[in-house]
Amino acid sequence: MSEAHIGVARPRIDAPDKVTGATKFGADGYVHGLLHARLVLSTEAHARIRAIHGDDALSVPGVVAVLTAADLPTATTGTDRAAEPLAREEVVFAGQPVAMVVAETEAAAEDGAEVVMVELETLPPVVDLEDAMRPGSALARLVEKAEGGSDLESIHAGVDHGQEDAEQEQLSANVLDRVQRKNGDAAAALDASEVVVFGTFRTPWVYQAYLEPQVATTWLEPSGTLVVSTGTQGSFVSRKELARAFGLPLDRVRVVAEPLGGSFGGKLALIEPLAAGATLALRRPVRLVLTRGEDFLATNPASAQVTHLRVGARKDGTFTGIEARMLVDRGTNAGWGVEGITSSLLVGPYRWEAHDIVGYGIQTNRFTFGAYRAPGAPTAAFALESLLDELAEKLGIDPIEIRLQNAVVEGDIGISGNAYPTIGAVEVLERIREHPLWSARASLPENEGIGFAAGYWPGGNEPAAAICRVDTDGTMTVVTSSVDMSGVDTGFAVIAAAAFGLDPNKVRVVFADTATGPYSGASGGSKVTYTVGKAVEGAARAARVKVLAAASQELEIAPDDLEVVDGVVRAIGAPDRSITVEEIVGKALRYGGRYEPIEGHGGSAQTRGAPSVAAHLSHVRVDRDTGEVELLRHVIAQDVGRALNPALVEGQMRGGAAQGMGWALFERLDHDEDGRLLTGSFLDYAIPVAERVPEIDTLIVEVPAPDGPFGAKGIGEAPVVGAAPAISNAVAAATGVRIHELPMTPPRVWQALRQDSGPTETPA
Amino acid sequence: MIPAPVRYARATSLEHAFQLLAEPDSKILAGGQSLIPVMKLRIARPSLVVDISQLELRGIDVRGDELHVGALTTWDELLDARELERPALAAIGECVRGIGDLQVRNRGTVGGSLAHADPASDMPAVLLALGATLQLRSPEGERDLRVAEFFAGPFTTALSAQELITHIVVPLPAPGSGSAYVSVEHPASGFALAGAAALVGRDGVSRVAVTGVAGQPSLLVSGDPHEALEAAEIFGDRFASAEYRRELASVLVRRAVERAAERTKGDA
Amino acid sequence: MLEPLQLVVNGERRSLDVEPRTLLVHALRDGLGLTGAHIGCDTSQCGACTVLLDGRAVKSCTLLALQAEGAEITTIESLASDGEMHPIQRSFVENHGLQCGFCTPGLILTATDLLSRDPDPSDDTIRHSLRGNFCRCTGYETIVESIRAAGAEMRGSVGR
Repeated sequence: MSEAHIGVARPRIDAPDKVTGATKFGADGYVHGLLHARLVLSTEAHARIRAIHGDDALSVPGVVAVLTAADLPTATTGTDRAAEPLAREEVVFAGQPVAMVVAETEAAAEDGAEVVMVELETLPPVVDLEDAMRPGSALARLVEKAEGGSDLESIHAGVDHGQEDAEQEQLSANVLDRVQRKNGDAAAALDASEVVVFGTFRTPWVYQAYLEPQVATTWLEPSGTLVVSTGTQGSFVSRKELARAFGLPLDRVRVVAEPLGGSFGGKLALIEPLAAGATLALRRPVRLVLTRGEDFLATNPASAQVTHLRVGARKDGTFTGIEARMLVDRGTNAGWGVEGITSSLLVGPYRWEAHDIVGYGIQTNRFTFGAYRAPGAPTAAFALESLLDELAEKLGIDPIEIRLQNAVVEGDIGISGNAYPTIGAVEVLERIREHPLWSARASLPENEGIGFAAGYWPGGNEPAAAICRVDTDGTMTVVTSSVDMSGVDTGFAVIAAAAFGLDPNKVRVVFADTATGPYSGASGGSKVTYTVGKAVEGAARAARVKVLAAASQELEIAPDDLEVVDGVVRAIGAPDRSITVEEIVGKALRYGGRYEPIEGHGGSAQTRGAPSVAAHLSHVRVDRDTGEVELLRHVIAQDVGRALNPALVEGQMRGGAAQGMGWALFERLDHDEDGRLLTGSFLDYAIPVAERVPEIDTLIVEVPAPDGPFGAKGIGEAPVVGAAPAISNAVAAATGVRIHELPMTPPRVWQALRQDSGPTETPA
Repeated sequence: MIPAPVRYARATSLEHAFQLLAEPDSKILAGGQSLIPVMKLRIARPSLVVDISQLELRGIDVRGDELHVGALTTWDELLDARELERPALAAIGECVRGIGDLQVRNRGTVGGSLAHADPASDMPAVLLALGATLQLRSPEGERDLRVAEFFAGPFTTALSAQELITHIVVPLPAPGSGSAYVSVEHPASGFALAGAAALVGRDGVSRVAVTGVAGQPSLLVSGDPHEALEAAEIFGDRFASAEYRRELASVLVRRAVERAAERTKGDA
Repeated sequence: MLEPLQLVVNGERRSLDVEPRTLLVHALRDGLGLTGAHIGCDTSQCGACTVLLDGRAVKSCTLLALQAEGAEITTIESLASDGEMHPIQRSFVENHGLQCGFCTPGLILTATDLLSRDPDPSDDTIRHSLRGNFCRCTGYETIVESIRAAGAEMRGSVGR
């Protein structure tokens, strides 16, 4: 087995199709007889639906149907977006789909949607997170939630839910979940600390802003199978949700995952139920592609959060206690929330003597909460890493040194009571400390500052399977049902090539669907390379066993004495005794052939996690008169296990860091007091553009993951986690002012610079 | 996303355009970079769009002591113009470079943008500071209007129903003058949170105009521009309060005047 | 009401029927099957729909199809010729200037416009010229590198 191709920065295998416009995304395919759907969205945040009048819409030329909840053959009474794609009686957020107009053209559908009349009886909207918790608060949802929701949390992170606590807090029914994690006596530990710092940290709802709006195209095969072609992160997840929602047997639903124009956690079972419902109702092919305005309103952005945090340390810098209350705005998502993950990640990759962290998942009349790249982690890191910076300052200890002192290593016990697996926290911190930007912080011009922060993501585990097949031309085809979100196909090619003995240029990667492919969980949770990649490795090794068995017969040499190098099977130590893989496959794949096809099936079921740590340096310049923060440079160091392809790994690192810059300075979904979205387009919601993103230096650190393919692991999420606090710490270094609310827009920075003591803070 | 149903006609001459524009609810379509977006959002629902892009209203040239810019000149053509390469007119290039983006500047026209009258657009402040005049034409004839008289409120101008801008006329500033434009953009829309344009003469006397802070761009006429801002009605929203914008405008006025003054030391 | 329209697209005369309100991007995608121009927003900002009109980058979502009559339209599909990628396309592949690829065709065409007028742009100029092309995946740095490298290659091959 040769690892010569591992670590090579080869171009993505899908790049040629993408640069020529040949790649067909979800909205690009031609379907005969296709109808187009447009949604009618609620303009009220909380209301009862009195009536929906579709007559005017039906008389628009080209309109075929106006569908409401009663028209969709849903089979369950759940309130998640799959079970209730169109609101039944109660609208719970402004933007919730209440009707769907289906027409011959997209233009006609839009004309029709404009004239659908929805009669709503408004109810009090619940928009303030802290008010929503109080007993006696108005409820965000009046109709009782039925049993049997979805189980989407587990896709994103493997965290437990902490202990049930006997302590009875008086909370309103808006609080759907309370998670408490406790060890030792945190309050006592803090009392005994040399320094204690506290703060209240606020982050807004933030939108994934994938560039491709959500899309699903659905139709019925003559056999009655519902086919769903969609940009989704998980075809098997989508299939399961659709089967549940519409009461269909699994084998009557076929989900085909199309290339994704970005997703970042947001594309899972939201749009398919709408299109599928229309197809099942009308028995016609239907495409629903959201306009950007609809995507802002009606999809599933990341939760707003409020974190009250207290941390302490001894004089020598040892972290002592950490106490926190974390309020997570679930919006209308009754199925799951990020309070479990965020409360678990709040401790960062550090040791603490005692902890007491409570997380609340609170429903309000704002959005359906969804996952966005490391859900719950950037918000937790913003709070923790800001306070650790303050702690370091007060103790007179270097910010990186104090983290190093407390950084976890393999075997340390984590917040869940389990030992940390292999984790590269120390290595990453040591590496970034060497970067010249860190030593430059001592001698900067006025109003400039350099900040540091770290973050990590635990990764995920889910069993997966893969198939490898070698053809008569000596090429290999790798088949998985994974969805490419981060260039994993290029990674799979390298893994398969290395495990079998081929040049990666001879490996083709195809993505199958739920009818034809081996199982893959959703892409997400930073687990695809780790789990599916491991299955690919297994499949390639299994194929290798077959080719060696056949070659052994041909060459009359024992398999153990043979090796496969660049498509040639040869005797170890005597390379002239050889036979090409092509030749062997040719002998297998023919009438009367003597050997089994050279194929392999592989599976994986890792139980050991593979967390990834990423640390950031940010260099900023603050214009005190305008409040503008200019990003001058950024550095990110990340433990990636093994960089199968450094270019792809760097791409994830830079992309994640840039999204963190969005968190830090630009991005905020804002509602008015009635729960209506005010920032529903890119005219109001700013994502980072090229001019505002600085150069980003990438430092790849490799601490091999024992259970990963060639030591590799999932790395897509960790890079976003610590970026925003690195920037807020840089602003503090530049101005002396600490800002505890994101985004740090010019008006907010300007305001903070004019307040004497910064935002008011209360101990947790 | 898709405009409401509309009809389209291409004008082959000014007279033809006037005929077409006699229809109520008709709208002029030049580059479309202001009109098409509001049509797509169905905020604007004209019955007919009259494409005037083929009319002979392009070009930049100096006539005597005036700079003439055809209303259909695109931002990109303006950026390329050699006639603007003098410190006195530096504000124009400085402003245009920040308008929209490369694609928008390839299509968007000066006249179209002025007629659209977004209160946060940049160019009006520059034209006010430079004391520009707009030449208008309608079936009734021609008239000139100073820019200060042209804007009447958000998205509202003094143009009558069938009237269009044919030229923008900028008096060439006195030799030794310098001008500048400074703004802070809203990071999403790119429009000005506040923008300030200044024209400073060799004698130190300045004309200052601001945009983005009120219902329309305005020349700060009374003595000290900072005092004028204190007294002015400034609007605010959830992103940027009135208090912030007022201060911001003041800062940008100071910077624009300083930069324009520095340019008075350059050649005429 | 459908009207007949003749467009010159990628060097070919094409006929299609459109409503006056049909945007150029829809005419290209639905009328001509040229789906390389993508729709990423509805406020004319993201640039995923960028095509060339008479050699200049424009947002095809912000033009009525009828406005394009008489002009030459170039879409991403025609940049490669005879199986050979355009240097800018090749540079994006080799310099890793893409991830999901949704913004890529529009970006490449904006770069084509930029490099045709400024063959040796600074990084600042490149970044400024990308103001109308959003990318959510890459953090832009490899895009800038791809454009810089393409410019260098195209300058080097001038006169061959």
